[in-house]
Amino acid sequence: MKKVKVKVCVCTECVMNGAMDIIESIEGLKKLKVQLRLNSQFQVETDNCLTGEKHHGRSPLVMVEGELLEKCTSETVMSKILSHKA
Amino acid sequence: MRGIYTPVTNLRRQVFAEIAKLAYEGGDYSRIEEIPYKIIPGEVPTYRDSVFKERAIVGERLRLAIGLPLRRADEHAPVSKGVNESAVDKRVYEPPLVNVISFACNACEEKSYRVTDNCQGCLAHPCVSVCPVKAVKLVNGKSTIDQEKCLKCGRCKEICPYNAIVKNERPCAAACGVDAIESDHLGRATINYEKCVSCGQCLVSCPFGAIADKSQIFQLIHAIKTGEEVIAEVAPAFVGQFGPLVTPQRLKEALKQLGFSDVYEVAIGADIGAVEEAHHYAHNVATGEQAFLATSCCPSWSVMAKTQFPELASCVSDALTPMVATARIIKKEHPNARVVFIGPCASKKLEASRRTVRSDVDFVITFEELMGMFVAKEIDFGDMEGEEMVDATAAGRGYAVAGGVADAIVESIHELYPDLQVQVDRAEGLRNCKKMLAIAKAGKRNGFLLEGMACPGGCIAGAGTLQPINKAVAAVKGFQQDAPLKEAVESPRIKQMQDE
Repeated sequence: MKKVKVKVCVCTECVMNGAMDIIESIEGLKKLKVQLRLNSQFQVETDNCLTGEKHHGRSPLVMVEGELLEKCTSETVMSKILSHKA
Repeated sequence: MRGIYTPVTNLRRQVFAEIAKLAYEGGDYSRIEEIPYKIIPGEVPTYRDSVFKERAIVGERLRLAIGLPLRRADEHAPVSKGVNESAVDKRVYEPPLVNVISFACNACEEKSYRVTDNCQGCLAHPCVSVCPVKAVKLVNGKSTIDQEKCLKCGRCKEICPYNAIVKNERPCAAACGVDAIESDHLGRATINYEKCVSCGQCLVSCPFGAIADKSQIFQLIHAIKTGEEVIAEVAPAFVGQFGPLVTPQRLKEALKQLGFSDVYEVAIGADIGAVEEAHHYAHNVATGEQAFLATSCCPSWSVMAKTQFPELASCVSDALTPMVATARIIKKEHPNARVVFIGPCASKKLEASRRTVRSDVDFVITFEELMGMFVAKEIDFGDMEGEEMVDATAAGRGYAVAGGVADAIVESIHELYPDLQVQVDRAEGLRNCKKMLAIAKAGKRNGFLLEGMACPGGCIAGAGTLQPINKAVAAVKGFQQDAPLKEAVESPRIKQMQDE
């Protein structure tokens, strides 16, 4: 089964800007297995600070399959993840 | 909408972070005028009809975050009016706490039932049959409701097989358990402050972000900047609120990095209150002298109980709330310190401004406001160490979740008076709390312990929290398990107070 790797930055700024809610929405995708015809697994990891530097207004940051997404919302992350599903 | 990160959440938090940054940087605060342009950049509106209106609303939010009153919409006043004067190291609280930014209000229609275009004009049209006042008629093959006649009973909505009838309700009014939301001459929401108990549920329920409460972070940061002793007392609902990196140890360390000289758990005061209320129950309620005992820790609940059921006021516990009990311990151990309550709650701000409490608690801020301070100070939790929190018992920490207060008191009663049987009833949300008190008033809760929580879910669902309720409940349970002592009666603080 294909694995989609997701890393969510949980630094102070990203958490304030909704990182935990993004994780929640990714977890929520698993409940839509049937509707989405999911054949992939999502592997969600948290990261102390993606990029290792100050985000300068780019938070929250999420990395999906190696691609860094800036100013993320639940909508953009969910659709990016689904674009990688098998 | 609770537990979902929306653009309203985003705006609210950015405002706190910007105000905290402003206070930390110091200098001439008239540059607050620039912040709306930072939060709402560009020329194209995102949420409303114009970018100017969006910025004006942010301006009002900034003022409230500084503790300033709203501006009148019909008089010229810059956002910065009064800001430099507010840069003091003491709380500057002027009622009201909870404010409707009237030009941000959508003037939603008051409660009504409407037929949507999902109506199929069916042959059965049971909506017509169930209406007790003939307000529903079939006109041109569609159901219509005569708003003049409509009783708003909702029967037509319940019976419609197509879900074609909807209940329109203002989200602020639906969230308000004391029916304090009224309308001004333009149909916009206003708050009847005679009824409002400042629980803050309206401000987290308004989808237009038109309601906000006043904050004290600006003055708190100035107090910290004086270099004098400022001590934090943290409500037990804090666990898990600041993300997965922020363990209790790290929170303590981060608060010290912000300039707090020490950190206490409010659960210490909860332990003390639980034991006091256990004794009170045994001496007064179990003996039949007093009809029942209502908990006192949630100020919105206790104020509602005392004002709406004055004849029951004597049944509300007069034990100190955990916030005040802990603050008094701190002031005893550190007579010159200023005490800051950090919690999930809007109404604690009001409790702290009461005449009897004013000298105990100097500032009250919420977790969401504290998060703004962490971001402004660029606190990095990644590789932080810190001391364990070991002050409170599992029972005291349980106060954060609905049901936890009653549990702590009942356990204490069992420990102290093993032969006593306790009956418990509890309610969450002020509407349910009112129902519970009505039943008690009818004499059907005699001998009971009544726990009331204004926020549905308890403190972890307070207006100043950051995480979804289910996650917060799990985090609090974990923190309870980590407590070295389990029962409130075991609290070393209680022993210490008895010895003195």
